[in-house]
Amino acid sequence: MGETEVLTTKKKKKFAYEPVFTEKKEYRPENVREVGFVFVGHEISEDGNVMNQFLHYDQLYTIRHGQNSRFFKGLLDGKILGTRCPRCGDTWVPVRTHCWNMDCNLQKTEWVEMPLKARVHTWTVAGWSGRSSLKRLPIILVYGVIEGSKVAIANELKNVKPWDVEFNMPLKIVFKPPEERIGAIIDFHFEPEDGWEPSPMNKEKERIKKLVEPVYEWVKTLK
Amino acid sequence: MNRKVCIVGGATTPFDYGPTGFENIEGGAAECVKETQRDIPEFSLRDIDLMIYSHFSVHFGHQLAPEWIIHDHLGLVGIPHYRVENGGNTGGSALYAAALAVMSGHHDVVGVIGWETMDSVSQSQGSEFIAMASDIRYELLVGGIYPIYYAAMANKWMHENRVTEEDVATIAVKNRNNAMDNPKAQWYRNEHRYITVDDVMNSRLISYPIKKYDCCLMSRGVAFLLVCSEEYAKKVNPDGYVTIDGMGLSSCTIRAGDRLNFPGWIERYGPGYPDMTEFAACRNAAEQAYKMADIEDPLREIDFGEIHDAFSTSEAQIYTALGLADKNNIAQFIRDERTHMHGDIPMNPGGGLMGYGHPVGATGIMSAIECFYQLSGMIPKKHLSRKTEVPDAECGIVNSHAGTGTSISNFIMRRH
Repeated sequence: MGETEVLTTKKKKKFAYEPVFTEKKEYRPENVREVGFVFVGHEISEDGNVMNQFLHYDQLYTIRHGQNSRFFKGLLDGKILGTRCPRCGDTWVPVRTHCWNMDCNLQKTEWVEMPLKARVHTWTVAGWSGRSSLKRLPIILVYGVIEGSKVAIANELKNVKPWDVEFNMPLKIVFKPPEERIGAIIDFHFEPEDGWEPSPMNKEKERIKKLVEPVYEWVKTLK
Repeated sequence: MNRKVCIVGGATTPFDYGPTGFENIEGGAAECVKETQRDIPEFSLRDIDLMIYSHFSVHFGHQLAPEWIIHDHLGLVGIPHYRVENGGNTGGSALYAAALAVMSGHHDVVGVIGWETMDSVSQSQGSEFIAMASDIRYELLVGGIYPIYYAAMANKWMHENRVTEEDVATIAVKNRNNAMDNPKAQWYRNEHRYITVDDVMNSRLISYPIKKYDCCLMSRGVAFLLVCSEEYAKKVNPDGYVTIDGMGLSSCTIRAGDRLNFPGWIERYGPGYPDMTEFAACRNAAEQAYKMADIEDPLREIDFGEIHDAFSTSEAQIYTALGLADKNNIAQFIRDERTHMHGDIPMNPGGGLMGYGHPVGATGIMSAIECFYQLSGMIPKKHLSRKTEVPDAECGIVNSHAGTGTSISNFIMRRH
């Protein structure tokens, strides 16, 4: 017995980089909780032929931003960080951690701070959306090209009437107050550049106004 | 030498939403197979040597690997199976996989079953589930869902191509009214009415310039298609089989904003294309399919199509991507009603996604089935009248479309 090797479980040294998370924030609303599978009801048709059951299932996800982390951390600081390929110079927000150009062969990109200026590439006025966004309607969604970027990024345009948006209009990027930021894309939105004035009403603007006005009323009826 | 790929049969369940759609998926699949057997009695489940399942989101189904439930319900244990998932182009991609399997010579008789049960959650939750196929870190959180992304793309396209809201509304009217001749179509089974351009213009705003009736339907439905070698086709359906003479599959960016200067497109088509307005993957996939099928002039050589009208605007954009019209004449092309039943290239005689419905995994299969029915002369049997039959159809196109144009497939089918 004394000759048998005793196997013990020790805390193993990990051979992978293990980040130590020191800055933790919890802002979970009270009504958000994970409860696993719960059957919450059922219904049976009058003729007894069809049955429906109601199942609730909810879970918590961890979005591990990994190499993209600096972009989302930058939002907390009120900065838009883009990436740039040191070989071809292409620059992006949304970021790419490796270059899209085949000739650069997945070249690692470098981080650059972007100006808080953009232009409307295209736009729409939403009167309907996913469950999480219904109460925010109407939403003006624009694809804006941030100065220096090769791509357009989607975000909300505020501080303008829905019918006054224009192609190519100049925008500024406006961040929420620091205490309200969560390190997500909704930490900022677009607004018209200071001094920009909408053009006079025209036929298309009247049409959009007519389509949007009932949306304001409908949103008021949402619980 | 590649083998010919044929289609010999197929069927869908009725497409529905909510209380009227009570088929469980495996029961629905069984009914689709049985309907196919009524059309081609020589076909037995014993003939199948591969099953490909076409299903988009397990979020709707609250069941991982639901294809395993269907497969064993059909008694197919021992037959190889796998599932294909590729967003809205799941059906087209599953058909692509089935065609490759036959073409390679490795399989002879391939069953494709597609389905989606989108009515297991509310409409707004369903929109949000689908939108999880957009980049949730950047796009979903700012309030985006697909109709909004498509509206932003269409808005610029319509301005640049001088296409009006009324123009695209005619497409919504066409497809819904075609569906009124199709007893399996969701529009026929539920709203059930003929509509006008005014109805579309007056429907509620979804995202400018898209209104409610410019949008496809969320659906529950199952579809089954039988893909096979020519040898098998001659055995079970010698007079009615259809050949897949061309096919193409292509891809574009997940985020529409990323395609302004994408090196891969600049290399193929030069700078400034596709911008956020053109469906480059559709053009690219069409070029592959046309080349394979020896089509030089699609407008003249293709008789009709079943294409991915997720939105009236996107059907219009697809016309140009397929090379049927260009920037200079697209508005007139629409106004001349070239794609209506009385036009020279009817599109979506079966009702399309706006009329028949859009249960994502089943959709591309449904389009292929409708195309097959037209080419094999089965429309009088499957639709309510000959109003939606394309007379003497020899060649059809099937188009399936995912994301913001992120994956697109095109198939050229011909009567043999």
